Amino acid sequence: MAMENALIRAEMVEATEFPELANRHNVHGVPQTTINDGAANVVGAVPEDSLVDAIRQALK
Amino acid sequence: MPDLLNDNVKQQIRTVFTKLQGSVHILFFGSQENCEYCEETRQLIGEVTSLSEKLSLGIHDLQADAILAAQYGVDKAPALVIAAQDGETVTDYGVRLLGIPAGHEFTSLIQDILLVSSRESGLSQVTRDFLKTVNKPVHLQVFVTPT
Repeated sequence: MAMENALIRAEMVEATEFPELANRHNVHGVPQTTINDGAANVVGAVPEDSLVDAIRQALK
Repeated sequence: MPDLLNDNVKQQIRTVFTKLQGSVHILFFGSQENCEYCEETRQLIGEVTSLSEKLSLGIHDLQADAILAAQYGVDKAPALVIAAQDGETVTDYGVRLLGIPAGHEFTSLIQDILLVSSRESGLSQVTRDFLKTVNKPVHLQVFVTPT
């Protein structure tokens, strides 16, 4: 998704190395996708549309 | 230190990398402070980038190269920025990996390299149309564990 818009940044974060970050976002199951520091969260590997919905939610 | 990737894996990756289109420049950011996996990540990404002429690697330090780190918005180590290289120009697509790309995430690393190399997102037209309308920053963080 980051490829499509310069305002979008996508990071893979290895949770065991950054536990404070994982804790801050209550990461239990992985993968968990956190958008804009918790404005929206998606747990699990989900299809494209679900991620788009989450982004819409986060940007409200 | 012996290689992290065995010959078999290297050969497989070399084969996958024959599909690379555009050149990819990877920036590694390490740190002298508090970075258990920095050295290993540095070695690993060095081995990966040696498997194709279309890949280049820059080794940087969060503290020593603070301006560059700030430019790429990197404040954690180890961090990998997967960028496109076209001649002299490096284009940042906002693709990052934080922490050592081990286990499943190693596949993500290879796929990110292929993705940036293709210069295309591979997403549906509907999704792409939506993403083009985004006019505020979107920071996606995908938390994973190295199983």
